Amino acid sequence: MELQVQLLMNTLQIGSVYVLFALGLTLIFGVMKIVNFAHGTFFTAAALIVSSVMIWGVDTAGMPIWFSYLIAFVLALLVVCIIGFVVYFFGFQHVLKDLNGSFILSIGLLLLLNGVYLILYGGVPRSIPAVVPGNISFLGASLTIQRLLLMIVAAIITIGLYVLVHRTKLGLSLRAVAEDQEAAMLQGIPYRRVALYGFLIGATLAACAGALMATVTPVTTVIGDDFLVKAFIIIIIGGLGSVLGAILGGLLIALIESFGGYYFDPSTATLAMFVLVIVLLIVRPQGILGHAER
Amino acid sequence: MLKDNLGLTLCILIAIASIGFALFSGDPYYVQVVIWVFTNAVLAVTLRFVLLIGELNIATAAFFGIGAYTTAVTSTILDWTFFASLLAAPVIAGIISALFGWVTLRTKGPYFLLISFAFTEIVRLLYTKTEILGGNSGMIGMFPPMALNDYFPAIAVTILAAILFALYAAERSNLGRVFKAIQNNEDIPRSVGLNVIGLKILCFVIASATVGLAGGVHAYTNSVIAPADFTFFVAVLALAYVKIGGEGHIAGPIIGATILTLAGQFLHSFGPYENIFYGAIIIGVLLLMPGGIIGLGERFKIRSIMGRNPR
Repeated sequence: MELQVQLLMNTLQIGSVYVLFALGLTLIFGVMKIVNFAHGTFFTAAALIVSSVMIWGVDTAGMPIWFSYLIAFVLALLVVCIIGFVVYFFGFQHVLKDLNGSFILSIGLLLLLNGVYLILYGGVPRSIPAVVPGNISFLGASLTIQRLLLMIVAAIITIGLYVLVHRTKLGLSLRAVAEDQEAAMLQGIPYRRVALYGFLIGATLAACAGALMATVTPVTTVIGDDFLVKAFIIIIIGGLGSVLGAILGGLLIALIESFGGYYFDPSTATLAMFVLVIVLLIVRPQGILGHAER
Repeated sequence: MLKDNLGLTLCILIAIASIGFALFSGDPYYVQVVIWVFTNAVLAVTLRFVLLIGELNIATAAFFGIGAYTTAVTSTILDWTFFASLLAAPVIAGIISALFGWVTLRTKGPYFLLISFAFTEIVRLLYTKTEILGGNSGMIGMFPPMALNDYFPAIAVTILAAILFALYAAERSNLGRVFKAIQNNEDIPRSVGLNVIGLKILCFVIASATVGLAGGVHAYTNSVIAPADFTFFVAVLALAYVKIGGEGHIAGPIIGATILTLAGQFLHSFGPYENIFYGAIIIGVLLLMPGGIIGLGERFKIRSIMGRNPR
């Protein structure tokens, strides 16, 4: 029982980061009909900024840890938004709805940015000091408070996004554009501006995931790339463009990874995910919650 | 036919010259570079072959690896003869691709792109976890027989050049026209009674089997293969060759592969700057010259050299 609770806690913790990452990817796909292979670079940028700023803030400026984390978090989101705006303005806006073009552009960005990160940051992994120390136990399973906070913050952001997409005017136009871009434009929705907002929200979600992940794992310049394959599997399972699908898919993949990784081994768990995808493709090619492609 | 098509004649002459160079040049390094150029050209052309039905096939990298590992296993573990182990590569790659295509080609566009990406990474993961395939360090010891050793580079270039010409012929045949029709609007070929899914699988199997053969040649050329040689990045570079050369004509990927492979020889020493360079080139070409080098050529009306584009 204790073991199962512990594994379930693991699931929620990995899953919350997967959900944030996959949500951004699926949102960008929904609005722009492109697959952003450079999504991991937003995640990485945020994690790198958090670790750099915190090490500077705590060691050099002598600020309290929680305060420097707060500053680092805000700064990370801000910088990623700027990076997102620049790559959208000079790159992605020219390849809207062009699957092959956007694939190449995002791969080019991936190479370029990863090279730049490596030069600026160096290849050595860095860990940041614990923001909130301490453990709690829950039904016999032990959990650091930090990881609990990570899950709570991720859940709040996810709920916030769900509300944004389903309850606000911006969310309505995002959904309208994802459904049928031309019909949306006929209703007076400015497609390009909505696409930019969608892209920036997606980038910010990846940045949130990266800034949260930096608190529990050592930061390297390729930290975001590890999430990419799993995020792809998640959004195939959930259905490209589906918000709820990304949430359910993220939790399902985390469940497989956590339990499969414990009872068998991590690569068997990854294989199981792939088999799941293949089976799903035979039964339901458009994902659990996706719409059929016409 | 040769009189009508100056470009094709030129290509045949280049291929013969390359085979001759591989046969008589004393410098093993330059011979190696020639084989790399041809291997990359095959990777790019097979990637473009699946683009004919409108799908971006990252699994090109996986089937290149499957071919290489098939040849490695049959030659070092099963002790098959040189030609038998080379022939096993396209057969196994073809069979696996038929199964994979049967399941996945019902999807298209982004789903197929992502699933082929995941497949490539999973297959690579399998190599690293399989003891008999050498795990992370891969396999060694694929050597051509002693009697053929001097001729091996020429054999390799001949096989690879033959693949390029065969794919060119396939694209210009009626089959190639049907593939393009599927890309344009698959409902129309379906409306005249063609089995669209079957044709898509056929296109995918042709490309995968040929890239598998190139993988087999790669195993013998390098004598060492490792899982890290077959990441999705192989397909990314192949796509860069296609984009830079231009995807409008089969000569595009070949030109792109040649230029970037030769440029890559100078860039190996740059470390992290190498990736920055590739990234910048890919972004620059995509945004500034969408048609690639072939596209530039067409703009300046030197298209007649390439022969007429098959429609």
